[in-house]
Amino acid sequence: MRVDLQLRYPIVLAVQFELRGFSVLLGRSGEGKSTLLKALAGLLPAQGGPYAGQAPQHRPVGYLPQGYALFPHLTAWQNVAFALPGRQARRARACALLETLGVSELASRYPQTLSGGQQQRVALARALARQPQLLLLDEPTAALDPATREDVFAELIAQVRLLGLPALAVTHDPHLALMADWMAVMVARRIVQQGTPRQVLAAPAGMAVARLLGIRNRLRGVVVDDHHVAVDGVLLAASAAAGLARGQPVGVLLRAEDIALLPAAADSGTNPADPLWTLAAVREEGLATRVITAAPLRLEALLPRDRTDAIALHADQSVRLRIDPRHVQLCALDPATDPE
Amino acid sequence: MRADAAPGAQRSRWRGVAVWGAGVLALVFLVAPFVTLAAFTRWDHLALAPGDLGAVGVSLLYSLIALPLVIALGTPLAWWLARSTFRGKGLIDALVLLPLLTPPLALGLLLTSLYGPYSPVGAVFERFGVMLTNSAPAFLLAQVYGAMPYYVISARAAFEGVPRELEQIALTLGKSPWQVFLRVTLPLARLGLSAGLALAWVRALGEFGIVLIVAYYPQGMPVKLWVNLQDIGLSAVYPLLWLFLLVALPLPLWLGLRARRRLAF
Repeated sequence: MRVDLQLRYPIVLAVQFELRGFSVLLGRSGEGKSTLLKALAGLLPAQGGPYAGQAPQHRPVGYLPQGYALFPHLTAWQNVAFALPGRQARRARACALLETLGVSELASRYPQTLSGGQQQRVALARALARQPQLLLLDEPTAALDPATREDVFAELIAQVRLLGLPALAVTHDPHLALMADWMAVMVARRIVQQGTPRQVLAAPAGMAVARLLGIRNRLRGVVVDDHHVAVDGVLLAASAAAGLARGQPVGVLLRAEDIALLPAAADSGTNPADPLWTLAAVREEGLATRVITAAPLRLEALLPRDRTDAIALHADQSVRLRIDPRHVQLCALDPATDPE
Repeated sequence: MRADAAPGAQRSRWRGVAVWGAGVLALVFLVAPFVTLAAFTRWDHLALAPGDLGAVGVSLLYSLIALPLVIALGTPLAWWLARSTFRGKGLIDALVLLPLLTPPLALGLLLTSLYGPYSPVGAVFERFGVMLTNSAPAFLLAQVYGAMPYYVISARAAFEGVPRELEQIALTLGKSPWQVFLRVTLPLARLGLSAGLALAWVRALGEFGIVLIVAYYPQGMPVKLWVNLQDIGLSAVYPLLWLFLLVALPLPLWLGLRARRRLAF
């Protein structure tokens, strides 16, 4: 399915992207993602498809807003039965839907008494009751307990896949986006990249996309040769430089998790030419340690505990870091999408 | 209280006592006149004046007719005020407040000037056989006019309190806007709507100023109270007042209880 939508109110927005299976639209808050979903549901005036010109009550979509918006004056089964016609079989059908989603025991509870995850199931059952052809989910994990949200979201995806329904979820959370079948990335109210999460992760289309994906180190550099890029005069080995024109400006991307600490004493496998990195800050982050280097470049590294347990790291310390050339990603610098 | 209680706890206890005391004071202030009524009523000589029962009948009958009219006319206006945004809405708000602000006696005079026999509008009504002074339709006109602003203001606040998102969700679930209004908006606004209805009922029954000018006849309870006071004296006021309270109170009480009970889901 293809989304091709133009909005003028409340914001000006024009987007085109594909929907494949469980799709996620990733973007920062304020990009107009929720507005886009509302327009798809027919709740805001927009031009283009799918469902161009149809009133919301005639569109075959199931819409789950943030917080799920269950009717507070109706019990769970009554919420689900809201969309069902007739009088007799409504309750049985609503309860069957709740059963499908594994929450049949909640049928006569009111929404206020349900947890976020339970509300989401009931809201999903309600959306499914009218047999939609497309599910729209607005920040599906925003109202969930942080401890369980990834599980709940994974289950939601599994559930939707089982039903064979195409779905579009919008979120600002890269972890959730990575679980989807297909993702589109929105920057400055434009779709700047789409593909499978693997494709997008492998080649972010720009610095802004990299930022949305949670890549902490985003530097500007130039290609030196087939194996190196230079960032502020510091040479970094990068496999991705192969085949790029020398002197070409590129974005240099490096995940904090991909930077490793080399034992200071052991010189085995250490190239004496590797620079010594001075630490500007050392911060414990749960069991891992986040370090920020001051020189020769400002880099952020997240070191797992098996690397840091033996060493007491502190600021102003000099350490050796290992940066795998295969983990240094390069992206185009696009002034339109890279305002930073 | 324990001797080692924290000063904060003590302060909050005093604050609680102060709020409670102020509440009781307000209640006493509101109820005191009715204690006087109970004390001054001569229970051994409790008798209605001639025509009192008729006045009660008139008031009840026309209030029961006025209430649906207030709902039918006031609900769309309240809905419109709650749900639309446009330039100059503040002006409409002010216009709705005008009838509340204007003294009832003045409103009566204004209505007479507009609908009276010597006005063009009144003449049009008269051509169709509807006299809008000192007649049943005039009495209704006064009641509806007096009661509607109260209903509109309450109903508007009630509609504004219904999350628009719930109405939108109902649309995406395949319901027409009218079905959404009946199945989502009305149930969720019921507390405020009930309050509005109760206010409208009380206003319609108790309306004196407008009725005095526009429809002295047919005599309703409030005007009859005035007549009793003029013709007989205080002794003829109290029995009718008791009767008035007896017939006026049940509906608003019932509405309030019903809305609150259904709210406890």
